[in-house]
Amino acid sequence: MGLTLNPVWRLSLLALLAAFCAVGFMTLRVQTDWGFILEYRGPRLLAMLLVAWAIGLSTVLFQSITQNRVLTPALLGFDVLFLLVQVVVLLIWGAAQWQGLALPLRFGLEVLAVVLLALLIFRLLFSGAVRSLHLLILIGILAGILFRELTDLLLRILDPGVLAIDRGRSAASFNRINVSLLGVSTAFVGAASLYVLWIWRKLDVLALGRDIAVNLGLDYQRLVLRLLVVIAVLVAAATALVGPTLFFGLLVANLAYVLMGTQQHRWTLPASVCVGVICLVGGQLLLEHVLASSVPLSRVIELVGGLLFIALLLRGVRQ
Amino acid sequence: MLPHALRRGLSVTGLLLATSFSAAALANETVTIQHSSGETEVPVNPQKAVVIDWSTLDTLQQLGVTVQGTPSNTAPELLKQYRDGDFIRAGSLFEPDLEVLQSTQPDLIITGRRAQGQYAEVAKFGPTIDVTPDPKDLLGSLERNTRLLGQIYAREAEAEALISKLEASVQELRKLTAEQGNGLLVLTTGGRMAAFGSGTRFGMIHDVFGLPQAVDNLQVGRHGHSVSFEFLLEANPDWLFVMDRDAAIGREGVAAAQLMDNELVKATTAGQKGQIVYLDPVSWYLLDNSGIGVMQTSVETLIEAFSAANR
Amino acid sequence: MPGSELTPRGASAPRVTVWLIILLALVVGLALWSLNVGASRMSLLNVLTGDPDDRLSKILFASRLPRTLALLLAGSALAVAGLILQMMARNRLVEPSTVGTMEAAALGLLVLAWLAPGAPLPLRFALVSVFALGGTLIFLAVLRRIALRSALIVPLVGLVLAGVIAAAGALLAQQLDLSQSLRAWNSGDFSAVLRGRYELLWLAAGLTVVAMLAADRFTVIGLGKDFATNVGVNYGRLMLLGLLLVAMISASVVVVVGAIPFIGLVAPNLVRWLCGDQLRRSIPLVALLGAALMLAADLAGRLIIHPFEVPSSGLLAVTGCLVFLVILIRGRKQWA
Repeated sequence: MGLTLNPVWRLSLLALLAAFCAVGFMTLRVQTDWGFILEYRGPRLLAMLLVAWAIGLSTVLFQSITQNRVLTPALLGFDVLFLLVQVVVLLIWGAAQWQGLALPLRFGLEVLAVVLLALLIFRLLFSGAVRSLHLLILIGILAGILFRELTDLLLRILDPGVLAIDRGRSAASFNRINVSLLGVSTAFVGAASLYVLWIWRKLDVLALGRDIAVNLGLDYQRLVLRLLVVIAVLVAAATALVGPTLFFGLLVANLAYVLMGTQQHRWTLPASVCVGVICLVGGQLLLEHVLASSVPLSRVIELVGGLLFIALLLRGVRQ
Repeated sequence: MLPHALRRGLSVTGLLLATSFSAAALANETVTIQHSSGETEVPVNPQKAVVIDWSTLDTLQQLGVTVQGTPSNTAPELLKQYRDGDFIRAGSLFEPDLEVLQSTQPDLIITGRRAQGQYAEVAKFGPTIDVTPDPKDLLGSLERNTRLLGQIYAREAEAEALISKLEASVQELRKLTAEQGNGLLVLTTGGRMAAFGSGTRFGMIHDVFGLPQAVDNLQVGRHGHSVSFEFLLEANPDWLFVMDRDAAIGREGVAAAQLMDNELVKATTAGQKGQIVYLDPVSWYLLDNSGIGVMQTSVETLIEAFSAANR
Repeated sequence: MPGSELTPRGASAPRVTVWLIILLALVVGLALWSLNVGASRMSLLNVLTGDPDDRLSKILFASRLPRTLALLLAGSALAVAGLILQMMARNRLVEPSTVGTMEAAALGLLVLAWLAPGAPLPLRFALVSVFALGGTLIFLAVLRRIALRSALIVPLVGLVLAGVIAAAGALLAQQLDLSQSLRAWNSGDFSAVLRGRYELLWLAAGLTVVAMLAADRFTVIGLGKDFATNVGVNYGRLMLLGLLLVAMISASVVVVVGAIPFIGLVAPNLVRWLCGDQLRRSIPLVALLGAALMLAADLAGRLIIHPFEVPSSGLLAVTGCLVFLVILIRGRKQWA
């Protein structure tokens, strides 16, 4: 590479591009008054920003903890876990009763359940019972397939009314965003982000691995546990808004590493958020307003992310 | 810009005074309409009506009305007047484009079954009526919708004429179905079949036209039940109605006829008597037979089929 | 190398024979049951004891028998195809529906519906085979670039490739408004099988026999290219034969009934578990077990909401996923 920019410039460029996408999303093909656009496109933009934020942050954090660039929460079946909790809750409580609860309470309980389950799974995974990374990912992907097929099968066997779950949620959609959850998810994501901001100086040490981090005086165990809670909250919020996104985190985090050319979290964390915004908002802008196409962005991400995943695997194996 | 009707009124010099007067009066006149999602006051002879429902466009076409806004999808052949031209394109049948509604400020919006969930959202952008049919009273809903459209466009007489023509045809059809034995309706897609019974979206054949069901326990389910050819043989309907979903979306529909051309279907009463009817998927699937034009055609097609069998 | 290192037990001849008899009895039993179950009221006893009128024999010969035969043929062919693919990929955790072969075949059907609807059967089969071949080739080409193969990276690459091909198909289907048809092709079931509608599967049966006869040589492939060449096997030609077998078997199943998942994974692995890794002798077991699984899944699909049907592919996908997970977790030590 002939041109080397320092990280400040690189991040500024990314941020500029992200801002450009956001502005484009709000202003392209406007045929009506601004008040309405703000009211109508605003929440969708906000939701996409929030999703980009949550997924970018959670993926980079997770990859730092696991010291691996191929592993993401989504690939471990994290978001599927969230859907599973929803279905189980619906089956236990019944749709009507559950819907009667206040939205923040409902969402909070769901997130709590996911966090507990996720911690349980992590305990199993990192206690040494399962060591292979590929095994983890395989199990995660298979769990996703199993969940999808099981829902489909139940819908065929039972009366469609019995499972009052929104079918659209079993696949990601950036067109139908669950805007009613925006406030609650913002609160959760905000709280999680504040914690990250609080401890961000420790992240670079954490990424050096357990042994070095402990030698450098880090309370490794406790930090990892808390970060895992943060990750579970972030993933739950993103999944509640748009549904599961298998390869999106992978795509965003790896692009951020490559584009920033550094591993320091002060650069990679914001960069991953910017890349996420560019992919989501820019992609949606391109599909919806420029190409006027009905192709769902989630499918395009699935395609590109899948190819990237294979490329990463190939490279990782060869190294 | 002068309203369209007013301009036309002005150009007819002989009737200048009377016409412009009545147009002005019409512009202020409103009528209160009872519809599937409540009650709305709408202008008579709206100047900028957006209709996000093919079947309503069909009924309006029968009434001789052309509206200003349609869904963004390509219109089916029978509504080809809306294919090209300067119409407001107001989004998909399921998801109306709210920005377009906001920017065009229609004085009437009509939504159908597929967008019923969005009624409250859409109604913020102008007087909106919802013409979703009541699944328990499909014919009644169709007649109500035709009447209310006649009221809005001041074509009550035409609406009544269409309704009484349809009622007469339905009566004729019912008389015929009373002596035709039973029937079964299947939808085909990608080489598979699903059966639909009374109370489903295609249940009209039993619920309105009075043909007894060949199978009683077809539960109500929007997507029907996957069935085999043996099921058809066991049901042994006197009439088999086949709808090719793949043809509804503009794919050539030889597949359904090929699928049904087999010895088990031939062994049913319907097969032996040649009483297999291929229903027009545009009328039945795309428009739900909820427009008075397609409904009339569907009824006439069935009358023809049943009369041919009587001869 | 998972193919060779997992040979703790050799298959003793008596053990194989015992299982052969058990599985044969199972398949015969399931097949008879399959002849007896359907939406129509007809039991085999009526045909055998009473005076079989025209209707009964029609149900038997036009519907039940073809369906049962189709299940037998498709199940055994897919199981053997899975086995061959496993030997070529030198990994026991792959099968046609988890590496992109089936997904590519369904994509082929989609392209046919788009460009040449109503094409005659031979043309359909040929084109779908080409697609299936392409999908398998991509997978093997990617594998070849992985020098150091961890046992789990192979199924992982396969699953993601299958997902990528499926996503491409879904995008195209969405553009063509054929999403529901693609869904039907992706979830195979035997509800529309009749006399005259499944005979392509006999071709699959022929290919299965070829595969069984050539199984010996495929075992050599599993030991690597150098070894194969040393013992005088034409490696390239054998790989081509394997590719053609897998692609054509998958294509014939997809053309007749749609994609059927996981049989090619479950059957060979269960047989390995029962009788060890000596596949030369146990390949008939693999075929029989595949047939038994297919029959069982379809029977369950016919019985759960009788007289309506649940696609057997859905039931197989759920059980197959569970079996896959069990295999992974049981064997977690050896993957590490």
